[in-house]
Amino acid sequence: MPLILQYVVIAVAVVLAALFVWRTRFPRSWRATRIAIAIPMLREGRPAWLKSWGRRIAPASALASGECGGCDGCG
Amino acid sequence: MSEASLPRIALIGNPNSGKTALFNLLTGSRQKVANYAGVTVERKEGRMLGEGGRNYAVLDLPGAYSLTPASLEEAVARDVCRGFYPGEPAPDLLVCVVDATNLRLHLRFVLELKSLGRPMLVALNQMDAARRRGIGIDVAALSRELGLPVVETVAVHGDGAKELIRKVDAMFAAGDIDAQQVLPVQGDLHAEARRLIEASVRMPRRTARIDDALDRWLLHPVFGLLVLAAVMFLMFQAVYAWATPMMDAIEAGTAWLGHAVEQAMPDGPLRSLLVNGIIAGLGGVVVFLPQILILFFFILILEESGYLPRAAFLLDRTMSAAGLSGRSFIPLLSSFACAVPGIMATRSIQDPRDRLATILVAPLMTCSARLPVYALLIAAFIPQRKIWGGLELQGLVLFALYMAGIASALVVSWVMKRWRRDGGEHPLLLELPSYRLPHWRDLMIGLYERAMIFLKRVGGIILAMTVLLWFLLSFPAAPADATMPAIDYSFAGRIGHAMTAIFAPLGFNWQICIALIPAMAAREVVVSSLATVYALSAANDDAASQALMPLIQHDWSLATALSLLVWFIYAPQCLSTLATIKRETGSWKQTAFATVYLFALAYGASFITYQVAKALGAG
Repeated sequence: MPLILQYVVIAVAVVLAALFVWRTRFPRSWRATRIAIAIPMLREGRPAWLKSWGRRIAPASALASGECGGCDGCG
Repeated sequence: MSEASLPRIALIGNPNSGKTALFNLLTGSRQKVANYAGVTVERKEGRMLGEGGRNYAVLDLPGAYSLTPASLEEAVARDVCRGFYPGEPAPDLLVCVVDATNLRLHLRFVLELKSLGRPMLVALNQMDAARRRGIGIDVAALSRELGLPVVETVAVHGDGAKELIRKVDAMFAAGDIDAQQVLPVQGDLHAEARRLIEASVRMPRRTARIDDALDRWLLHPVFGLLVLAAVMFLMFQAVYAWATPMMDAIEAGTAWLGHAVEQAMPDGPLRSLLVNGIIAGLGGVVVFLPQILILFFFILILEESGYLPRAAFLLDRTMSAAGLSGRSFIPLLSSFACAVPGIMATRSIQDPRDRLATILVAPLMTCSARLPVYALLIAAFIPQRKIWGGLELQGLVLFALYMAGIASALVVSWVMKRWRRDGGEHPLLLELPSYRLPHWRDLMIGLYERAMIFLKRVGGIILAMTVLLWFLLSFPAAPADATMPAIDYSFAGRIGHAMTAIFAPLGFNWQICIALIPAMAAREVVVSSLATVYALSAANDDAASQALMPLIQHDWSLATALSLLVWFIYAPQCLSTLATIKRETGSWKQTAFATVYLFALAYGASFITYQVAKALGAG
């Protein structure tokens, strides 16, 4: 495997590991950051693809339970 | 049928009525464990397949003695039953699980639940134990008097819930659920429970001859404590005596995998990450899975047999002398698995001062994350030999470490009590369940859950920290004119060397210092971190592929090992625990106090241990 590709794989692994540690050990700041990133992406007038990404980035409601990430009470 | 449209059944009942055993039987392994939204009270949901192929969502609610809540668990149970809990639809059917051997207590709660007016069914659980004791229950009469369907269940037998499933199927198929008229009970619930028992239950003259005989010995103030100490002692002996073959197999598997990857890949940074980072790091932790499972096997047996509440009863006097409430026992016991649920379990302690004292000492209980650290150091530095007529010395040291944690918690709470203005004590009210033989199904499910928790940590936080540590130990590379090993020029190497200024008096070298940082995420990460640090420090591939144990045996003194063991008794090396203290106390001041006092204790005790051991010639 070329050296440059090895470094790319390592960089991805390190970034993912750092994000995992952040998400699991500092969940409040993780959540706040996701909200801060998602809100500008979801403003009126933003392109649909950006809004779609914004919805993905936005965390589930604090009251969410179950698997769908929503209120778990829909019909 | 979508998840949301499945009929929802909630299992509710007094603690220790066998709800969870029944839940396991009904749902098998098809269960999902989470927390109730907004609070950290365990929420277990599973799928049950009816005889006609209909699927049900089954919810295992927290145990409750009453709908007038005295704890957060009881409040959650009440709100879910009423359909008031946010994000939790009201159950279509309440299955109230009652212990057939203790109807006087459990029927009162059935009557209270009945007053909700919701569709309901009573599962008369532990009927086998009731029959063995000669308790005769006329189920038809009980059902008639209660005005509710009643079915017999034996949750610990494979087919013990067939009748319940059949009844649930029938109720949903016939539309009885909507038609069921549940009339609230008027008047005194205790009196009504007594009337029901008189009308439908025939009690033997001696309901619990075996319980009484056992309790005479096991609750004896002297003999009972001796038995408790012996049980715990044997538990730790077994951890060492039984685990070795499995541990050897895992160690050999890890070494083989590391070797295979090394042969298959050309030299380079990616191979180093895989072999010296991930395989060395994770392999160093996974090897302790057998010991963790053996320890939990014993804890589950004690829990299932009904012995644990008796242990709480025995220790109540000692705990209250130390300033802890009898209600602190269960949270502190939970902390042996993990301090996080232990601290959350303090919600059942009503007195805020008792609760705070319990929260502050819970991290001193030896959680399962410490076990890999203890096991590594004991195996490396304590000789594997028998003393005093056949006792494993290593098991004895492990027992002493657990005892040191308990003794320290008692001393700390005693000191806190001296500072408290309110020195009042609160009586312990405890229901002592009947003794019963643990069932293999519940033991296996409990062990499976414990193994999954451990393996998820290995594949989650331990893997992530290992990758990050490998990066910090590998970059930046050594300069061309390097005179020291490459690792000394890395980010982590520099940090580790700087930290030795603080930790040298404890006998910690720079490798230990650097391993303590990622171990803040989880204690057992210290093992994977040491494995990675030593693998990367090795002069060649052969040395790098060695297991961690011989490396630290060669590099550390006995005084250093003892000092590190003592450090891990006290140090709050767990961010999750500190975050939970903050959440449960709602106070940064208390969190800072817990952090500072635990680190100060760790530093002081390790310092004394190291200096004394060195003076005695172990340095």
